[in-house]
Amino acid sequence: MSVGTVRWRAVRPLAICGALGLGAWILLADRVAKHAVESVGTTLIGASVEIRRLHLDLPHGRVEVRGLTVASPFAALQNLLEADELVADVDPLPLLEKKVVIDRLAAKGLRFGTPRQTDGRTVGQSDGVRGQVERWTAQLHVPVLQFATGKIDVSQLDLSTLSTPAAAQSLAAQVDSVRTAWNGGLQGLGVAATVDSAKQMTDRLRGAKPTDLGLLGDARRTLDQVKRTRAGLAGLERGVHAGTELLQAGVAGLAAARQRDYATARALLRLPTLDAPQIGAALFGSEATERFRRALYWAELGRRYMPPGLRPSATPGPQRTRRAGVTARFPRERAYPAFLLRAAELSFELGGGGGAPRTYAAHLAGLTSDPTLYGRATTLEASAPGVRAAALVDHVRPTPRDTAAASVSGVTLSGFALPSLPIRLEPGQGTVSLSLALVGDSVQARWGMRSERVHWVRDSATARSQLGDIVWRVVSGVSTVDVSASLGGTLARPRLAVGSNLDGVLAQRIRALAGEASAGAERQLRARVDSLAERQAAPVRAQVATLTTDVTQRLSGQQALLDQAQRALEQRLRELTTIPGVRLP
Amino acid sequence: MTLILKLLQSLFSALHSEGTPGQIAAGIALGSILGLTPLVNLHNVIVFGLIVLLNVSLPGAMLGFALFIPVGFLLDPVFDRIGYTLLLETPALTPLWTRLYNVPVVPLTNFNNTVVLGSFVFAVAFSSPLFFLSQWAVTRYRATVGERVRHSKLYKLISASKLYDIYRLFRPGP
Repeated sequence: MSVGTVRWRAVRPLAICGALGLGAWILLADRVAKHAVESVGTTLIGASVEIRRLHLDLPHGRVEVRGLTVASPFAALQNLLEADELVADVDPLPLLEKKVVIDRLAAKGLRFGTPRQTDGRTVGQSDGVRGQVERWTAQLHVPVLQFATGKIDVSQLDLSTLSTPAAAQSLAAQVDSVRTAWNGGLQGLGVAATVDSAKQMTDRLRGAKPTDLGLLGDARRTLDQVKRTRAGLAGLERGVHAGTELLQAGVAGLAAARQRDYATARALLRLPTLDAPQIGAALFGSEATERFRRALYWAELGRRYMPPGLRPSATPGPQRTRRAGVTARFPRERAYPAFLLRAAELSFELGGGGGAPRTYAAHLAGLTSDPTLYGRATTLEASAPGVRAAALVDHVRPTPRDTAAASVSGVTLSGFALPSLPIRLEPGQGTVSLSLALVGDSVQARWGMRSERVHWVRDSATARSQLGDIVWRVVSGVSTVDVSASLGGTLARPRLAVGSNLDGVLAQRIRALAGEASAGAERQLRARVDSLAERQAAPVRAQVATLTTDVTQRLSGQQALLDQAQRALEQRLRELTTIPGVRLP
Repeated sequence: MTLILKLLQSLFSALHSEGTPGQIAAGIALGSILGLTPLVNLHNVIVFGLIVLLNVSLPGAMLGFALFIPVGFLLDPVFDRIGYTLLLETPALTPLWTRLYNVPVVPLTNFNNTVVLGSFVFAVAFSSPLFFLSQWAVTRYRATVGERVRHSKLYKLISASKLYDIYRLFRPGP
């Protein structure tokens, strides 16, 4: 480079500038790292991550975090966790590759579900993993326990919401199509022409002689024609038989559609169901769904940020004034993962029954962004009196396997309101368990809650309702609640089943107290559905009956004519060709 | 208002500096890289070092920076698309990105972010035509209205400002 190209006198200011920049970085490193951790954590979790103080001690490879608060991505004014102190031993070399490898992490004073002042959720309900889980949750049908009060208005039922009219329309089209096909088939056979021809030939044979070989040949051809037509008619009869069965199945389908319409109408009118399993689902289904939703959210988050394999993967870029874009990772064998936490010792607190929180310990190992690179599954274990928790996140192989199970007993369980009822359940001290097994697309999960000293609270601010009164009368005398919910199937088609010890007794009481009113409403509803559906279904059923009767009669008639014509022709031929004692070739 | 004033100062300082049209154009081209790409990135430290060390017009660089910051914001969706295509939709480049991603220091440039890579590639590709365009424009300006502007009150006002004094420290040599 020539002397004129370089501005040599700027070297010193630039060096000073560089030194100042380095000094500023050293001074502000803690703040920069704090901001980076908060930003990455917030993007990753979908809720605000706040740190009171972060200190980088790079010469000793140590990072200290104090006052970590992670907001809940589910509840507005709740924290997912708070931690008093986290101390991480960081491997400094991978930092040059912008990778974080933590050899050991010690977390003290972890607390879960603490309240917060502001909403810390940063991801909308329809965004990313949250949106995916919300859409999944929408598939789980949780019935509503609600009485239809006063006069039941069935006028809101209309044809467009019912299945029977559509099924009837479809069957009517089928009837038309079959009728046309059968008529065409009968006309194509030309039975009348064949019978006429056979009759004429029989008449001609009356004056014929056995030596009239030409006429005899014509007669045999006519007989063959009659036989062919009979064979065709037999074939058509088989087709008619099959078609008739199809139409009868269609008529049976109308009955099935009617049953569906009853269910649709019942859902529209929100008639209470009196089946015990449905009552369990109505009372505790929402709570169970919420537990499964949260478990699935973390599992899906793990799958997004801990993908199996070594293919490039993309995650949302850092939050900044400019567009965030996406940040791609390109893992390579025998290289550091982008993030690896080899081992963590966690000390956490859970609310004890006596009020004072108890301290527990857990061990986490192998949490990494590139499981295939690390080659081992992530494990979490927590074992203490009253607490058992274990999780295995195995994304090493192409089909990810996520399993987790936790059971906590002897702690104060958080209460919840019963859906659409002015009643709140405060379980008090009890046992709660949750397990999840997600293998590929297949899901198996269970949630259970048992408490022997529950406390029921009635919301006096809400208007009284008949159903609320019934349920309150039943539950207010119950001190033990045992709820169990299970989830099965695939992520695309999940099945939820919920049961509790209250289901049977509630069903019995509701049936006794409200069964008649409900049955009356049911009768009214069925009558309305019947009137709407029958208007469409009856004519089609009649069409089917008429068509099948008509075609059967026509076929029998044609068959008889052909039989008669054939017999007559054969008889005449026999008379002509049979000479006593002589057998003609 | 301050921004507009600074932009005007940069513009006049660049156009009437003692630098050649080539030096001003080179400054604008380098400054445009700072403006088009997300600022807080390692590659911009290098670009900034080049602006200071190379005998290019500092006001030109400031002008390029100031002019192309809004353009950068406007074109972010395009940069995102370019970066996404290069990083994730061009399998032929994957071995290169994998190698760079696992080399010390290089990942600190955030090259694996779609907006950073897309804007950087765009800015580098755009810098050559921008250099020649700027060189032509400065030459034409000086040959036509430059002298009249130099004697205007506005120019004298800007020349007397403190910013001009700072500029003089880094003004390009003859």
